[in-house]
Amino acid sequence: MPNQNTDAEAALQKLGQRIRAGWSKQHPVPDKSLETVRHTVREDWEQEQNVKGVKKPAPDATKKPQRQPPEPEPER
Amino acid sequence: MNEIIKLVKTYRLTAGLAERLRLAEEIFRLIEPDLRFFVFSATQRPAAEDVLQEVLKGITTSIKKFEGTTDKEFWAWCYRIARNKLNDLFRKQATDRLQPMPPEELWQLVEASAQATPLTAGDKHDLEYAMNLLARSKPECREYLWRHYVTGLAYGEIAEEQNLNYDNVRMKIGRCLDEVRALVS
Repeated sequence: MPNQNTDAEAALQKLGQRIRAGWSKQHPVPDKSLETVRHTVREDWEQEQNVKGVKKPAPDATKKPQRQPPEPEPER
Repeated sequence: MNEIIKLVKTYRLTAGLAERLRLAEEIFRLIEPDLRFFVFSATQRPAAEDVLQEVLKGITTSIKKFEGTTDKEFWAWCYRIARNKLNDLFRKQATDRLQPMPPEELWQLVEASAQATPLTAGDKHDLEYAMNLLARSKPECREYLWRHYVTGLAYGEIAEEQNLNYDNVRMKIGRCLDEVRALVS
């Protein structure tokens, strides 16, 4: 049996597509939105760089001080 | 198909700032209008603009953690962020929810869409029928039909929003269609 709601669904889908397309036409992406995105990308990127900078250990710090074997006591 | 997810995946793998900025702009040029529509259909203007900017920030900050693999999953994730930001607003300002868009405003949007793709007589007939279906639906049904067909949310996204399961939403929308179809025909 065919779906009785198909025509209604198709009409509503068509309306939805038209409304969204009209909305995009009437509201092109404003600079304000793009600026928010750019600003956030920059902030996150800088944060990542800082974290990388903090995590990267100084070459000397990676080396554990090696224990020297104790000097043999001089024989008496 | 899956045009957005390709950009998102590339963005996640990109280390350089200039390339990230370029990709982010490309992604947001594609998704901003629908997110704007989602937010502006839910709340009034001055607050809606602020919420939208919060949504854009939220998505940009978390995009590197997004693990989905399809446009559909990406949209669901974006709408989840938008819904959370709207809920934050509603918790602060309980009376700020918006009334349904009046039919004249909807027709203006349809006419704006016709600049790119002109309406045939058949389209006009279908669109009038669809407007009638929305106008004659009970408020709860109108909301479901609007979310699914006009905003373009999948059953699963509405289910998440309404704290229902997928089949519940699918059946509710089916019943709403049955009811209003009988009224209009």
